[in-house]
Amino acid sequence: MPENRTRPAYRIIGKAAPRPDAWAKVFGDTAYAHDYTVPGMLCAKVLRSRHPAARVLSIDTGDAEKLPGVDAVLTAKDVPNNETATRFGQTHQVGGFEGLYRVLAEKKIRFKGEAVALVAATSEAVAEEALGLIHVEYEPLEGVFDPVEAKQAGAYQVGEDESNVICSYKVRKGDVEEGFKLADVVVEQTYRVPMVDHAYLEPESGVAWLDQDGVITIRSATQVIEHFRGIADVLGVSHNRVRIIAPMLGGGFGGKEDITVETYLALLVWKTRKPVSLTYTREESIRSHGKRHPYVMRYKTGATKAGKLVALEAELTSDAGGYVYLSPWVLLYSTVGATGPYDIPHVKVDSETVLTNNTFSSANRGFGAPQVCFACESQLDELAKQLGLSPLEIRRKNYLRTGDALATGRVLEHSVETEQTADRALEALGEPSGPSSPTERIGRGIASSMTSYGRMTFLHDTSRALVSIEMDGSVSVRCGLQDVGGGQASSLAQIAAEVLGVPMEDVTVYVGDSALTPLAGTTTATRLLYMSGNATKKAATAVRHSLVKKAADLLDVDPEELAMGDRQIYSAGDPDRAVALERVVKACAADGIPLYDVAQFNAPARELIDFQTGQGQVFPDFTFGTQAMEVSVDIETGAVKVLKIVSCYDVGQAINTLSAEGQLHGGALYGLGYGMMEEVVLDKGNTLTPSFAEYLIPSAVDVPDVKTIMIESGGGVGPFGAKGLGEPSCVPAAAAFANAVSDAIGARVCDLPVTPERILKALGRF
Amino acid sequence: MRKTKTKTVTSTTYLRPTDLNDLQQIMAEHQGRAAVVAGATDMIPQMRAGRTLPAVLVDLCEIAELSFIREEHGSIAIGATTTMAKLASSPIIASGSPFLATAARQVGHPQTRNRATIGGNLANASPSADTAPPLLALGAAVQIMSPDGAIRDVPLHQFFHSYRVTDLGEGDVLTRITFPRPPDGAAGRFTKIGLRSASSISVASVAVMLEMEETTCRTARVAAGSVAPIPMRVFRIEELLEGHEIGETLVEECSELLRAEISPISDVRGSDKYRSYVASAVLKRQIEMAVADRRTFGA
Repeated sequence: MPENRTRPAYRIIGKAAPRPDAWAKVFGDTAYAHDYTVPGMLCAKVLRSRHPAARVLSIDTGDAEKLPGVDAVLTAKDVPNNETATRFGQTHQVGGFEGLYRVLAEKKIRFKGEAVALVAATSEAVAEEALGLIHVEYEPLEGVFDPVEAKQAGAYQVGEDESNVICSYKVRKGDVEEGFKLADVVVEQTYRVPMVDHAYLEPESGVAWLDQDGVITIRSATQVIEHFRGIADVLGVSHNRVRIIAPMLGGGFGGKEDITVETYLALLVWKTRKPVSLTYTREESIRSHGKRHPYVMRYKTGATKAGKLVALEAELTSDAGGYVYLSPWVLLYSTVGATGPYDIPHVKVDSETVLTNNTFSSANRGFGAPQVCFACESQLDELAKQLGLSPLEIRRKNYLRTGDALATGRVLEHSVETEQTADRALEALGEPSGPSSPTERIGRGIASSMTSYGRMTFLHDTSRALVSIEMDGSVSVRCGLQDVGGGQASSLAQIAAEVLGVPMEDVTVYVGDSALTPLAGTTTATRLLYMSGNATKKAATAVRHSLVKKAADLLDVDPEELAMGDRQIYSAGDPDRAVALERVVKACAADGIPLYDVAQFNAPARELIDFQTGQGQVFPDFTFGTQAMEVSVDIETGAVKVLKIVSCYDVGQAINTLSAEGQLHGGALYGLGYGMMEEVVLDKGNTLTPSFAEYLIPSAVDVPDVKTIMIESGGGVGPFGAKGLGEPSCVPAAAAFANAVSDAIGARVCDLPVTPERILKALGRF
Repeated sequence: MRKTKTKTVTSTTYLRPTDLNDLQQIMAEHQGRAAVVAGATDMIPQMRAGRTLPAVLVDLCEIAELSFIREEHGSIAIGATTTMAKLASSPIIASGSPFLATAARQVGHPQTRNRATIGGNLANASPSADTAPPLLALGAAVQIMSPDGAIRDVPLHQFFHSYRVTDLGEGDVLTRITFPRPPDGAAGRFTKIGLRSASSISVASVAVMLEMEETTCRTARVAAGSVAPIPMRVFRIEELLEGHEIGETLVEECSELLRAEISPISDVRGSDKYRSYVASAVLKRQIEMAVADRRTFGA
């Protein structure tokens, strides 16, 4: 349970509310994207490039088209608008800053696994056979696979543009040269972090059909139903001719933020006029879909003898892979977050994201934050070691506090409780464990993070929700959100129930239909609760006002005196003076008073920041937290056991403590995998880890229980003072793990994942 | 009328004989075209990845007489289709050769262990086969049935010829594994180094069986996996140990010798240097522990 501040007494908010969607999942009844069938459905398959870099000389689809059972074979020439951009849910156009990609390959192949052709056939086996009958003539090209190499002049050009550098940012604060002169200790290091996969249970999947009105309807696993606009643009039809329905998601983690199967399905439905289904294989998902960006990060940090940070210089290079997608945005997050939750007077950050012929990178839980957190938190521990301070001491001397400014000039006007999260996390590790064998060494590490929630303010983000009260007093919420499994829909039910004085089971939430539910934006950027929660609260509050006004007439009391609860409206001072909610609703209906409200919540809107200095506001607010770990390392085999994990966050206000704890548990393990073992290994653009036999994620026996601590400052900008947790909860884990290992062995591994092999190397064993 | 159940999936004919006579007939008939499977935990992923598409798949799982664990004349005999789960929970294995159960318990995850078989683990001949090092250290032999019905026994260390090549000729089927029950004073150890605590393919594994007399080694058998093209028995280390008092220098020599004898590759799971280092570190620990146990518990 969260640690409570003195806070308003809520009836439902902040309670452990079992989620309505839980039982169907436990019993296997939830119909995920792949579980849905439509009569006469065709099966689609995607032909993917065999080369990471090549020119497509010719494609002959004749033999495939002749195969009995094949309904359609499509290539780039069949796509009305083949070059498109990932742009969704934003009201503000920001120019060339957006992620270009091609629907199907033409001109140059940019990565292995790029989609070249689509097949729709009567069965999976026929579709598979047809892929083998498509004859593609390639001219293999040399390619470039290292981002640092790719940005040099004269490097192989991945695309048609002259430079592989997609974009670059700078942050300038103070004078970093002067800053380092003030430092008694300076540490400098280059850190490398790998490409990683989302490893969701559910691969990319969807079914699409033409409805009776000729609208292309797509039911797909997605975090973004508002891709309907982009799909309509690719097909050259108006936006209201494409509809997306989002079923319960089997995991998103950013991997279902970009388009996955939707455009392919739409093209095939448009061509065949028949229903079509498409589900990627696991290998296809790992080889071909977006990943977390690998980074090379050079960091130099200086501190005084007293442990005060005086200067930080960072150079970040991220590998975008073959197409732009969300790389510029991910890089901006890293650039703003490069200095961590610390107050540093002199800062210089330079960052670039670069095209290569690797699998493309895009959104992945944390969106650029885990990479720089690892580098920055490693630097802090190295400084502490050299200064003879504990990791906690050096952090406490440097944490940003409420009212302080980031290196970008942004003042943290909302609650900042980082120090408290660090104290509490470390304390909760308890008594140190003892080694269980002579070759084991025990170590502890902490890492803190500052992670944004809500999209970048220059996108002018909005969200809508419709709240209505039925004639019997039950409540319906309609919101075009995507439930990625984090309890998104359930949280809105809680909010509406709180505001309207009904139990949670009286609320039904309709979600995820771009044609029928008010558009709410993406379930990404840890924005859903913040944006749609606020929109729902606003709509519910408007309905409440109408009801209370009517009840005041019926009870003949001042509306200010009235409260709602237990399906009643009553006088707060004299609870016996009450009227049933149902009666009030009927009275409103009789008088023609609207029993619904559609509310829009707008995030603060800002202009683009200054890209030469980084000055300006990029995010609405941040979530602060600390993770602490205790590990045991066998110094002869390099094997690591994670003994304890504590995750402590200022959650602002937990809406559902079960869902919030779930985020803290899942986030810590998601981040631990990044620190401990996950890596998509590529050799010249070829994925060597295409299945879960090679791409390892922690298993149940690799992780201990996660101890969670929630601080409720009430200082968030979400509904009831909530902060976002989805992404923040995964960010520091890899850094905390690396710091714990380093503490155990007295040497540092500067590359993720911190594998037994790297540990033995750091120990100089070979 | 043959009792074999037949099913055709795409272009592969799938046969499930129910006894050894039936099996022999099928193997004679489809010689050169048949691939033998039991749990098929490796075959199915290989087929899915398009790396192999056998014309005929012969599944041994319906042959009841191939699934057993029993003691006979001082030996332990295991039928080829005995699953890893059964090996891991067998009282005979637990008392006679617990380190074989340790190895079986570390194959894949529970679903894999319920299907994967000991015969498949050996016949598949992966250098990382988890049960191979303990079986080599136990001095096991495999029994092979030819399509003409002839039966031959092959010592396991001669069964593995080269990378993924075994003594199994066309139409041959591995039917059982036997090894002498280790003497009471002998202790076996198996250590698998994987990249996570469960369901991983080993980067190196070592099995040792030592019979000690105080601190002197009477007999020694040493085997290693994932560090050479085949699961290998390391005879030269055995020679170094047998009949000698085990001290720090000798342990160090064994560890050095292992590095010289093995030839690990570098791949996505680890470099040759890492495999080499970690295998020798594990061997060293196993020998030290064998000696320490002797000191603690006495003869």
